Amino acid sequence: MSDAIDAEVGTELPGLAVHLTRETLVRYAGASGDFNPIHYSDFYAGRLGLGSVIAHGMLTMGTALRLVTDWAGDPERVQSYGVRFTKPVPVPDDTDGALVEFAGSVTRLADGVATVSIQATCDGVKVLGSATAEVRVD
Amino acid sequence: MPISEAHVGRTYPPTQPYTVTGVKIAEFARALGDDNAAYAGGTPQAPPTFAAVLAADAWGPLFADEELDLRLDQTLHTDQKFAWHRPLRAGDDVTATLTIDKVRTRANTAFVTISVLLATTAGESLCTASSTLLHTWPVENEEEA
Repeated sequence: MSDAIDAEVGTELPGLAVHLTRETLVRYAGASGDFNPIHYSDFYAGRLGLGSVIAHGMLTMGTALRLVTDWAGDPERVQSYGVRFTKPVPVPDDTDGALVEFAGSVTRLADGVATVSIQATCDGVKVLGSATAEVRVD
Repeated sequence: MPISEAHVGRTYPPTQPYTVTGVKIAEFARALGDDNAAYAGGTPQAPPTFAAVLAADAWGPLFADEELDLRLDQTLHTDQKFAWHRPLRAGDDVTATLTIDKVRTRANTAFVTISVLLATTAGESLCTASSTLLHTWPVENEEEA
């Protein structure tokens, strides 16, 4: 693995802002094999009582981890990662889609493993809960 | 509402082996907008959450198990966790084995926690992907208020 990462409790990771568009959702559906129509069809989303198509939870979760892997460099450093899917991310059918903003900081450091706590928000709404990754930093 | 705590520990046969390829890794990384160099080159590793794609292959038998009466379209995925032993890499032949870890039922709903172990066909453990699913059964003969 690469050189040790300079991490201490309180270290803020560089932030990340990502536009999830309908194109992103179609791409993720194809790449992941998750073809649930609520992720591409307003008709099916509406039938479930949703105001619009929503992003795949796993797309939001996977995108959020970029905050950590962009910082850590080698994704192999990630030991564990967990989230709660607290709120859906509605994705409008326009050029910008949904802007999801990610922030994170080191909340614990022990035995060469940093615990990173991640915040993910869309339109000021927290879309992931208890999002935490454990990363080797030694 | 047949699934109950009695089903904790139930496990299903491993999925057919899936061979991870560089092309699939590139497609998945692009879908995440992730240009990390580790996902390209000779023997690329897969983005960590690619494990969910293989884990989902193991969900079929859970929903096909008539005794449990679970339907995917009545299920919300509420929590997801991964613990990796090592990254998945191009060339890995991977099977996924699902186990029911925890069941909590209340009224017409059940919280079901499952774990899927990803391992190579040679027996090397790669990752455990744990999910909590909230299942809701339709309420029949709903009483008028």
